[in-house]
Amino acid sequence: MGMGEQSGQPVISVTDLVKEYRGGVRAVDGVTFEVRRGENFGFLGPNGAGKTTTILTLITLLRPTSGRAVVCGHDVVAEPDRVRLRIGYVSQDIAVDDTLTGEENLYLQGRLYHLDRETIARRSREVLEMVDLTGRARDLVMTYSGGMRKRLDIAGGLIHRPEVLFLDEPTLGLDVQTRRRIWDYIRLLREREGITVFMTTHYMEEADQLCDRIAIMDHGRIVAIGTPSELKAGIGGDLLTVDITTGRGGTRDGGVQPDGDGELQDLLLTVPGIKRASRASDGRWVLVADRGEESAPAVLEAMGRHGLRVNYLAMKKPTLDDVFLHYTGRQLREDEGQEDFSRRRIGLRRARM
Amino acid sequence: MNTTAKTTATLLSDTWWVAWREIKRFQRQKVRIVMILVQPFIWLALMGNMFERMAQVPGFPADSYLDYMAPGVVTMVTLFGGIFGGMSIVWDRRLGYLNKLLAAPIARSAVVSGKMLAVGLQTGVQVAVIFVIAMLMGVSFKTGPLGALTVILLAVLLSLVFAGISLSFSAVITSHEALMAVVNFLTMPLMFTSNAMMPLSFMPSWLQMIAKLNPLSYAINPMRSLFLTGWNVQELLTGVVVLALAGLALGHVATCLFRRSLA
Repeated sequence: MGMGEQSGQPVISVTDLVKEYRGGVRAVDGVTFEVRRGENFGFLGPNGAGKTTTILTLITLLRPTSGRAVVCGHDVVAEPDRVRLRIGYVSQDIAVDDTLTGEENLYLQGRLYHLDRETIARRSREVLEMVDLTGRARDLVMTYSGGMRKRLDIAGGLIHRPEVLFLDEPTLGLDVQTRRRIWDYIRLLREREGITVFMTTHYMEEADQLCDRIAIMDHGRIVAIGTPSELKAGIGGDLLTVDITTGRGGTRDGGVQPDGDGELQDLLLTVPGIKRASRASDGRWVLVADRGEESAPAVLEAMGRHGLRVNYLAMKKPTLDDVFLHYTGRQLREDEGQEDFSRRRIGLRRARM
Repeated sequence: MNTTAKTTATLLSDTWWVAWREIKRFQRQKVRIVMILVQPFIWLALMGNMFERMAQVPGFPADSYLDYMAPGVVTMVTLFGGIFGGMSIVWDRRLGYLNKLLAAPIARSAVVSGKMLAVGLQTGVQVAVIFVIAMLMGVSFKTGPLGALTVILLAVLLSLVFAGISLSFSAVITSHEALMAVVNFLTMPLMFTSNAMMPLSFMPSWLQMIAKLNPLSYAINPMRSLFLTGWNVQELLTGVVVLALAGLALGHVATCLFRRSLA
């Protein structure tokens, strides 16, 4: 990969970025981060976390309320035209014109980036080949499937060889199979074009699979930032989920049952290898252990000694979902259907329009 | 090339490519092309017949109502074509295409001028078609091919004025239902407070006052002269200048509103 001596240099640099919409919604609330040249950087967070607002600010479509953003060496407020020339943008809506052919869509896109006819023809062949649309280039986009339209949209974002490609929710609304194919294309474009990719997603698997570094966003703030493995390691070990029944009379060896959550927590923390214990909203205990496979039997034994019944015990390696839970107290997946979040999102979309 | 010339050249080419998309879209939509052919025919045949006896009223300025009506149909088609010009922006916004245009390194004004150019070109073609149909129906025309080109020029300028109004609204109105309501609210009063259908002298004096301020009148009067009587240079120049300035001003208003809506 083309990660020579330039790899450490930031291609996006954002400092204390704030965006407040008319009506007082603070969609981005003081965000600071850097993206290095050649890396694939992702914003992961639930709907309404401020991901799209951040992207729209970086691509010069929204003016920040305060703070500073520099993309490809140019301030997005002071020199929007210079920024626009160097970046590509693929929105979460599939923004291709379906009354034009695939080829015509790319031709127009090329013309809007001031390329000449020959350059457009050459680049079109390259990007169409990369997203496997060469055979369908002369068909009207109307006849394309959703996945094909998305691929064409991504190809359009690459036509002018941008230094950074912004992908906003690249697989939103696509089925699982199509999503995986799009992932393959995103990996491929990095390999072939060696460009920097800035993407947003609310699918943790997508971030885990594609991103070198991830910023976890919640309520307009970055709550954690790092490589997927760093973030997972930040949890401190394996996760044990335990369901414990209390209040069943005396104990086997005549000891005293713990009284209340506090004492049970203290008890759990005395088990060798257990570093943290907290009670989740569903009543189960979530324990962090250095080595889960050794701590699990130890927990069972300790509970038994105190006359407590363990109804359920599961062990897993942490995922980004657990990282999100760890930093926000909520699960990323729970948010997907949650009403107040979708309402907040609709509110934001309105404010952006 | 100095920078001003370069900026102007870029603006013109950006304008053309924004318009190019609209033209391609138009070519693909067969129904729209059919309607362009059918609509003026229906208007001329229907309205021309319905009001035929109007021409017998003493003081009516033309030999037949059809002769009087033909420039009215030209302006009406122009009005409808222009005033819906903002609709494509509302759709582009909905579909996310507007953001794609705005993320490209084109001038903000090119989005507006490109859509205006597309409306203007479409109007030019439409009016040429109306001419052919009107001639086939025996409408008399006094000023020959040069007069016909002048009528087309007036119609194109008028369509830019209405496109400017429509695009200005589309910068602030984000739903197509709302824009539709505004457009419908505007078209009928514009049409009937002008002398497109009825001579000014047939109207009450308060309506005559309004008709004189209506931008439609600045196109209709010179057009009607070209159809019915001959070259009236002063009237023609006034029309062209007023319409061109109004079109430019409204295009500028639309661009400013767009810039503001982005902040």
